[in-house]
Amino acid sequence: MDFTEILYKIFIKDGGWLTILNGLWVTVQISALSLFLGTLLGSLLCFFRVGKFTPLKVIAQIYISIIRGSPVLMLLMLLFYGVFARTGMAPIVVAVITFSMHTAAHVAELLRASLMALDKGQVEAARTLGFSKWQAFQLVTLPQLAKIARPVYQSTVVNLIQWTSVVGYVTITDLTRVINNIASRTMQPMITITGGMIIYLALSYLVYGAFHLTERRRAQ
Amino acid sequence: MKLKKIAKVLLSCVLAGALFTGCGGSQGGDKDAKAPEGTGSIKLGMITYLNATEKRMEDILAKVTEDSGIQLSKHVITYYDSLKTMQMGIESGSVDEISTYNCVGKYIIAANDKYAVVNDSAKLKLADSFCFAVRKDDAQLKTDLDKAINEMKSDGTLDKLVDEYITNVKADNIPKVDIPTIDGAETLKVGITGDLPPMDLILPDNSPAGFNTAMLAEIGKRLNRNIEVVQIESGARAAALNANQIDVVFWAVVPVSEGVPNDIDKPEGLEFSEPYFKDDVAHLNYNK
Repeated sequence: MDFTEILYKIFIKDGGWLTILNGLWVTVQISALSLFLGTLLGSLLCFFRVGKFTPLKVIAQIYISIIRGSPVLMLLMLLFYGVFARTGMAPIVVAVITFSMHTAAHVAELLRASLMALDKGQVEAARTLGFSKWQAFQLVTLPQLAKIARPVYQSTVVNLIQWTSVVGYVTITDLTRVINNIASRTMQPMITITGGMIIYLALSYLVYGAFHLTERRRAQ
Repeated sequence: MKLKKIAKVLLSCVLAGALFTGCGGSQGGDKDAKAPEGTGSIKLGMITYLNATEKRMEDILAKVTEDSGIQLSKHVITYYDSLKTMQMGIESGSVDEISTYNCVGKYIIAANDKYAVVNDSAKLKLADSFCFAVRKDDAQLKTDLDKAINEMKSDGTLDKLVDEYITNVKADNIPKVDIPTIDGAETLKVGITGDLPPMDLILPDNSPAGFNTAMLAEIGKRLNRNIEVVQIESGARAAALNANQIDVVFWAVVPVSEGVPNDIDKPEGLEFSEPYFKDDVAHLNYNK
């Protein structure tokens, strides 16, 4: 059997590519939703973490250190087969909750690191010039924060996409699961998995591309 | 500038591909350096039995060696958690032979002509049985499954399914399994790994197929239950059963004999149904 024939059998035949696209769509859905919710929750966590109210600060600190220090697959299994097992919640919802929680911890830390890198004097100067607290944050802190946090945030997004590849453990058919099924059916694991890797790689480069484009627009 | 970037990405893809497929050439040399057969240093890949420790497996294999006269215990065994990873192991040269079932071996050879059966594996005379695993507290379901399996054995349906989905199956033309839906009937959730064709696999259109699935579709008809098949990683099957996320999984058990207890890989809290299919173990090798 020559190589192109094998490729045809793996990726095209009998609508196999459609199944791959469906799997990819599931991966994108979980990643996008988790990114959105994770970023919101992460910002909130960061707000608590750098705030002056001690109990919230401690809670945020504990949350971040636990979640950042544990593998996301364990968290996923624990939530799906333990905490939410009796609620009958859809697996995809549990997956989004898990990855949001995980992303939130990372986003909170990266925001805090970016905040620490900022020059405090500028906010103080703005305040003495009569800016309100909110105005100073919005006009002085936020634009600089976005600029510093951006590269790390970008790699968090790409990491998140790759983390979602374990959702097969909670009965979700995502891209990795589809690729595994194909590998087992066609008995060509090396080629199939390399193909799957290229799809993930392409997805990552799409993210890089999107960040690159927005950066350009800002520069103009 | 752009072109250079694209070229870089392509190059890294090719490099990754080459790494994964073993790059041909160098592997050939390793093959020749392999110890001659019979000296007992054959590296064998096996799928891990979920709940049996490797030490325990060693004891059992030593017993099998005693019974069959084949120097199985002198194989150096590497454990894999699925057929797919085991295949990657043999294709990259980490193991020389892989241990699987006759019907699976036939499927592998039909789908990928680089595999072949190792001659003396027919002498192994080792057979595993296939059955369903359910929760221990779900005794009613186990009784129902057993009853349906026995009925199917006596009225010839089982043999018909074996013919249709195992004996006469073509690797490139797997029959679809029609899972009927019965209005108002209870639903039985089944976990499928898709990792053991022709017993258990997923078709290109993402529908579950294979002998196990056909078996369950038939049982669903007999028990007046709807069957819902969910895909799951094999490592998470026991957890999913125990957490009530699924009700039935497919399981393979080793034969009951003096040396081999039938519950070596039975996780606590699970119960097995009557076995409905038995197949011999076959060893395959891979020629680049």
